[in-house]
Amino acid sequence: MNVKFLNPFIDAVYEVLEAETSLQVQRGSLSLETDPYLTQDVTVVIGMVGQIEGSVFYGMSYTMALNLVSRMMGEAYEYFDTLAQSGIAELGNVITGRASIKLADSGYEATLSPPTLIEGADATISTLDNPRLVVPLTSEVGDMVIHLALRERTNFSLSTPQIETPAAPSLL
Amino acid sequence: MNVEFLNPFVEAARDVFLAETKLEVTRGAIRLEASAFTADEVTVLISLVGEVRGVVLFGLSEATCLALVGRMMSQAFETLDPLAQSGIAELGNVITGRASVKLSEAGFASNISPPTLIRGSGVTLSTLEFKRISVPLINEIGEINVHLALEQSPVDRQGENHIPILDFDSDKDGAVP
Repeated sequence: MNVKFLNPFIDAVYEVLEAETSLQVQRGSLSLETDPYLTQDVTVVIGMVGQIEGSVFYGMSYTMALNLVSRMMGEAYEYFDTLAQSGIAELGNVITGRASIKLADSGYEATLSPPTLIEGADATISTLDNPRLVVPLTSEVGDMVIHLALRERTNFSLSTPQIETPAAPSLL
Repeated sequence: MNVEFLNPFVEAARDVFLAETKLEVTRGAIRLEASAFTADEVTVLISLVGEVRGVVLFGLSEATCLALVGRMMSQAFETLDPLAQSGIAELGNVITGRASVKLSEAGFASNISPPTLIRGSGVTLSTLEFKRISVPLINEIGEINVHLALEQSPVDRQGENHIPILDFDSDKDGAVP
């Protein structure tokens, strides 16, 4: 995990939360973790593939998720229903997308996968041999944590399992 | 979710199981699902991007997982330690990689992300607006549930990041140049 991947995400979070929810966030101390991530109530998982690859997780409590969604939609949400779920997933998607634009401007092209939403605290998510940079964020309506398990891919080309076997030329 | 994405995964799983564990697998009934589902004890999650994009999930019980990695590595595993975890993640990785080669041959090129491993039954996983095709792969050790939430990328946006809601700069549509 390279710390130069961090600032695009920090900038993206500030900008997107400001624009979508009118929230100012402050970042707490960073840490690097190799143990699995113990989930909070709600986690959005987004994969990145390209010159940077790995996963990004956004973790928060139900209360924070509902507060964020309520602000985004302009009405109070009491239940984490499918609309709220897709709102939170979309928030993660937009933040990661904005970060990927900034990373591309720095020369690191990557494509995002669609988000997956995990609900249920105290499960574990392991990024295996990819350590995670953990970024705690606080705001006046609650806290959120971003986990970045990203690494630079030094030779971005098709990896071995994906190299096609060339078709045999026809003899006719 | 296009059903023609399914066969490459089933074939890839058959090939890889035979090679890595000497096990024959058969597939069970295919289900198309839209809502969130309760995760198995162990889930490997791999993302795909490219002409086909989405998420692939392999779910299995911890017991089946330990038995499978035990066979792969020819040693007994009592607990899902880091070596066993990397073994099951690698199994999912190789199956997905092989399936992505077959998908390429069918005209859907893609690249895959590194795997993540989710543990904890009772959590719910949602692929949101992506419908899932779920199919159990059955072998003599146990079952692995394969969930595919894949779509064909819209032609003009393959490999680009679609940023739907916000438009910070009026002259950009959010696409990665």
